Amino acid sequence: MKYCFQVIPELCTGCRTCELACAFKYAKDGKPGRSRIYPLAHAKDQYVPVVCFQCDDAACVRACMFDALRRNDETGAVELDKERCVKCEACVAACPFGCALTDTDQNEIVKCDLCQGDPVCARFCPEAALKYVEIED
Amino acid sequence: MVKLQINGKTVEAREGEMLLAVMQRMGIEVPTQCHHEAIEPTGNCRLCMVEITKKNWDGWKKCVTSCLYPVEEGLIVETHNDKLFEIRKTILDLQLARSPHSDYVAKMASEYGLEKSSYPVEPQGDDCIMCYACTRICDVLGKSAIAPTMRGHEKIVAGPFGEAPPDCIGCLSCAFICPTDHIKWNDKGNTRTIWDKKFKLIKCKKCGKKTITREFADYLIEKRELPSEYFDTCDICKRQETADTMGALVVKAREATI
Repeated sequence: MKYCFQVIPELCTGCRTCELACAFKYAKDGKPGRSRIYPLAHAKDQYVPVVCFQCDDAACVRACMFDALRRNDETGAVELDKERCVKCEACVAACPFGCALTDTDQNEIVKCDLCQGDPVCARFCPEAALKYVEIED
Repeated sequence: MVKLQINGKTVEAREGEMLLAVMQRMGIEVPTQCHHEAIEPTGNCRLCMVEITKKNWDGWKKCVTSCLYPVEEGLIVETHNDKLFEIRKTILDLQLARSPHSDYVAKMASEYGLEKSSYPVEPQGDDCIMCYACTRICDVLGKSAIAPTMRGHEKIVAGPFGEAPPDCIGCLSCAFICPTDHIKWNDKGNTRTIWDKKFKLIKCKKCGKKTITREFADYLIEKRELPSEYFDTCDICKRQETADTMGALVVKAREATI
C-alpha cells in the first residue's frame, strides 16, 4: 500500500493550524517560525500551504554529498539522517521550493518527513486541505 | 547474521557491521571523538576501545577500537572495566596536555576525574586533537583540500605546504564536524573566510540574504547536475515563489470552472 500527501490549496483558509501542529511537535518552544509547513499568502487572504513535495528526483538528495537524505520507501518521504548530516546547508540552497531550512536555535536542518507516516498537520487541518491518503500502486 | 556477546548480553548483528554500531544500537554509551556516520572510521581518537575475547582464546584478551572492528561469530566484548577506564583516562590526560584551552576536552576529561593533566602541559597548544574528522569529511566530499602536513610535534591540519588550500570550496563541513571547534571561520559581509582563503557568498537575487559560497554551488551544479537557477534565491524567497506559482494555478482553475 502506498500513501500520498495531498495538498489542496483551494480549501486552505490560512488558519495556520498546520504550522502550529508541526511546530509543537518538532520545534523548540513550539516556535511557528521553525515549522516544516508554511502557509503563505499569494494574494490577499488567499493561502497556499507550502510543504516539501517529497520529489521523486529530489534536488536535496542530489545535493547532499554525505548521503544524509534518503527516501523511506514505506512512507514515501525523503528523510534526514541527523547522524550523517554535517549541516553544510547544501540541501537548503539546492531545494527549488525552499522546503528545507536551517533551525539556527537547535543548529539542525529542518525538513518534512511526513512524521514517519502520520503527518500531524493533516490530522489537525480543519478544512481538510491537507490529506494523507492511500493510493493504488 | 552473526551472534556475539556484549557485556554479557547476546546480540545479533549484520555481517561486516562494526562493533561500535552494534553497541550504539544496544544503547551502550562509549565515548567517541572522531566518530561520525558520514565518514569512514579510522580509529584516531582511540576512546571507543573495548576488550574482546573468544571462548577458545584460553583467557587471552585484547583491546581494539570498536569503530574499526567488524563483528565476529562468538566474540565476547566488554565495554567498561577498570583497564578500559585507565586507557580512556590516559588518552584524555594526554589530550589535556596538548589542548589545555579546549572546553570539549576538559569536559570529557572531568568525567574521568581529571582536572589537570599529569603530563607537561603545552601552554601554546591549540584545540586540534588530530582526529582528522575534517580531512576525512573533505575526502567524502571529493575535494581533499586539507590534509595533515609536517611531521611529529609540528604536525597540523592545513592546505598543501601550509598555505590556503586551492581546492577548498568553503562549504564549512570541516568546521561543523570538528569536535573541538578548532577550525575557525567567519562570514563578514559578502565574504567567507576559512583556512585563510576568501570566498564570495551567493546573495539572494530578491532579498539579499546570503546563502552558500559560489564555489560550493558551482561544485554541486557540476558534480550533481543541478540547475544553476536553484541557487540564485534563498530558501525564504523560493518558498514564496512556490506559493505564488501554486496560487496562480488555483486562481486559473477557479476561473476555468466559473
